[in-house]
Amino acid sequence: MTLFKWLSTSMAGLMLVSCVTINIYFPAAAAEKAADRIIGDVWGEEAKPSAAPVPAEQSNNSSSVNMPIAVSVLNWLISPAAAEANLNINSPAIVDLQNKMKVRHESLKPYYDNGAIGLTENGLITVRDAKAVSLKDRNTVNGLVADENKDRTALYAEIARANGHPEWQTDIQATFARRWISNATAGWWYQTSGNWQQK
Amino acid sequence: MKNTPTWLVVCAAVLVLWQSVAFARDQFKLTIGHWAFDDLSAQNLAVNVQLTKQGLIVNASADSIVLAQPLGVLKKVTLQCTKLVLLSGQTNCAAGKLGFIHKDFGSQSIAFSLQAMPKQARYQLSVSNLKFADANFTILTNYDEQYWQATVATTEASLAKLVHTISPYLDEAQKSMITGWNFDSDLAVQANLSGHQQQFDQLKLELKASALTLSDAQGKYVTENVTMELLFDLALQKKAWQWNTDIRLKSGQAYAEPIFIDFNDAALSLQASGDWQSTGQHLVISDAQLNHDNIVHLQASYAGSLQKIEALAITIKQADLAKFYPVWLQPFVLGTAADKLETAGQFGLVFKQQADTYQLSVNLDKVFIDDEKSRFGIYDLNGDVAWSNNQTKTQSELAWQGGYVYAVPFGESNLKIEAQSSSLSLVEPWSLPILDGALLVNEFSLHNAIDEKTQWTFDGLVTPISMESLSAALGWPLLHGKLSGVIPKVSYVNQQIQVDGALMVKLFEGTTVIRDLRLDKPFGALPQLYANIDLTGLDLEILTQTFDFGKITGKLDGRVSDLRLSNWQPVQFDAHFATPDGDKSRRRISQKAIDNLSQIGGGVGGILSRSFLRFFEDFSYQKLGLSCILRNATCAMSGVGEAKQGYYIVKGGGLPPRINVVGYTRQVDWPDLIERLKAVSQSSGPVIQ
Repeated sequence: MTLFKWLSTSMAGLMLVSCVTINIYFPAAAAEKAADRIIGDVWGEEAKPSAAPVPAEQSNNSSSVNMPIAVSVLNWLISPAAAEANLNINSPAIVDLQNKMKVRHESLKPYYDNGAIGLTENGLITVRDAKAVSLKDRNTVNGLVADENKDRTALYAEIARANGHPEWQTDIQATFARRWISNATAGWWYQTSGNWQQK
Repeated sequence: MKNTPTWLVVCAAVLVLWQSVAFARDQFKLTIGHWAFDDLSAQNLAVNVQLTKQGLIVNASADSIVLAQPLGVLKKVTLQCTKLVLLSGQTNCAAGKLGFIHKDFGSQSIAFSLQAMPKQARYQLSVSNLKFADANFTILTNYDEQYWQATVATTEASLAKLVHTISPYLDEAQKSMITGWNFDSDLAVQANLSGHQQQFDQLKLELKASALTLSDAQGKYVTENVTMELLFDLALQKKAWQWNTDIRLKSGQAYAEPIFIDFNDAALSLQASGDWQSTGQHLVISDAQLNHDNIVHLQASYAGSLQKIEALAITIKQADLAKFYPVWLQPFVLGTAADKLETAGQFGLVFKQQADTYQLSVNLDKVFIDDEKSRFGIYDLNGDVAWSNNQTKTQSELAWQGGYVYAVPFGESNLKIEAQSSSLSLVEPWSLPILDGALLVNEFSLHNAIDEKTQWTFDGLVTPISMESLSAALGWPLLHGKLSGVIPKVSYVNQQIQVDGALMVKLFEGTTVIRDLRLDKPFGALPQLYANIDLTGLDLEILTQTFDFGKITGKLDGRVSDLRLSNWQPVQFDAHFATPDGDKSRRRISQKAIDNLSQIGGGVGGILSRSFLRFFEDFSYQKLGLSCILRNATCAMSGVGEAKQGYYIVKGGGLPPRINVVGYTRQVDWPDLIERLKAVSQSSGPVIQ
């Protein structure tokens, strides 16, 4: 009887905790999968997900860090629906943005290749070495970069909205930031902690 | 070192070794092993003086002479004066030669002439054949009782070598200015300088560069192969420097972030004059004329310090917008809605600033603007736009022939506006024809202070626009009805347009009311539209006829809440449509409509036509309705009531034959549903066997 009491009290407490966990969990794995799919499409064949992807940072809201074992077990039992939920990236708006970015990539690619453009840590791109662009093309490249960043920002916001969580925009942007870099072709430049590095 | 001349002289005296002193009748020879004075020292100094009828011939040489830093060592120094005349108080050397080898200046063989009258304090020195940076330098100096003049002229010198050679002689501030820059050009210089005592009074500089190539460290300021002619005059008058300049750039390309100019397409020149008071750091540009061939002619004047403007005036009398926009405007608006425009027409501009207050007036003449993405355009725009950040009211008027916003065209109109304190408002109510109706704006105000984002608001009403014309413009099926509405307030803040009040659409004999309309980034990468829509009393007969759905009679009410369109495509809504409670109208549904409804609900079409029911043309129903909650590209469907394992889309009632349509699929993929709807509108109807 004591055992039953103890069990039921613990379970009730645990369920309360785990309910909160489920509601605020950012599906990092699903977001990575979604990001890889979009990046693969935008960058085409050359972009292959690297064998050792950058480990996804857990969202601050997630309580999976330092979770008691019992809670973890319970989470595993109760939360798969939330954790494994795929992010929807098929809305017409997302597909449209993706197509625009794919077309633009043809023009951007030579500038990724020669180091004129680099990937920033916040999931955008920037002109890294203006000298690598001929003078007459400078403003074309500036325009391409501005357009790409506008579309990328819109994409992150739209994925968050389309999945009913506008507040996920920052997390999605952070996920994409890691995945763009992981998927980048060797020789391209990316930013970490404010410094430029070459893949 | 400066405190040690005495001991150096002593040392020198000790070190001096008289190797030989030879006297002849017409000749004098002196050889010194080491000689030093102050920061100056010489090794193996030999002086040979010979007397001739014309005067003295002086030959001097030294293995090396050490000068004060940064000049350092001169090696193999030779000095020759073949005609040295020493008269009372006058020394002349008409044809002198100086040779040496220096680490920076290389091997030199310089010709010079010297005339000195120390008593009158008159000196003249001319130097030629000074080889430096691949060029020959000629220098003429004249000193006459405190007044001096110098002229420097070069053949084409290599700028890169010039900078490289002189950089060790620059101070830290000058060095930091050129650090990271790349220089390359041939540069011919002619400079005249004059002054008195220590004071420099006047400069006349003429520079010619045949292929000027410059670049800063970040590549923000770059020129490539630019042909440049520069004249610069500077004179000190009444404690202020009067200057004027004339710069002409004829070929090559330049980039000064974010402007790119190809001088081969259009040469650029700048003439300017003014004065500069170095004590008060005060600059006056009394007249500047910038001429970019066939693109823009700009006049400007300026007064103020380098940090703060006291007065600034800029005038562009008339410029071709089509040529001006890509070079001088587009680079500044990249990333905004105005970054890809096709333009035509002429414009002029007057900008005046006094301290912190400014006024701007832009005149437009037959201007056409078309967004390359066809999001907006305006045609034959004429008139003025005035803007100021001060209290003075300035009125202006704009008129145009037409234009469009997305697919909706607007017509001819004119707008009278008044600017004051970074705001614009209407002088009189404004009417903008839209299709066969109009948008009437009673009050409009726009505010855009520096560092603040643009915001505007207006109130007005939409006079009826026929749905026939609107549906045709939007490429929809032909709709009948009217769109109108009273708009208490439309506001634009932070790239968001918010419509308070309601737009009313008289459609299918019923009323559709659009509320809470909000547009986010209307010209952005992904425009978002939010709204709530109520539909009451729609006549199903007209509706089904319009969409060729199969005839249904009766009324329909509906509500679409939390609607969100992303890039004008629906991505989220809660939509409920149903026969209104207490509907008294005749409610019949045709075979074709039943077929289509069952297809939408996920069923198979043509069931009726295969049963005995095919003998009935239509059926009576009690209630019909369909709901779709769209989230995440999935539509959660339901109908007008729960049925066994499903939901009623049509519930039969009234006189027989009655028929029920039951939907079983609860979750429908939204793109699938759209496909089904398209299929329905294209189908030819059920086959009656």
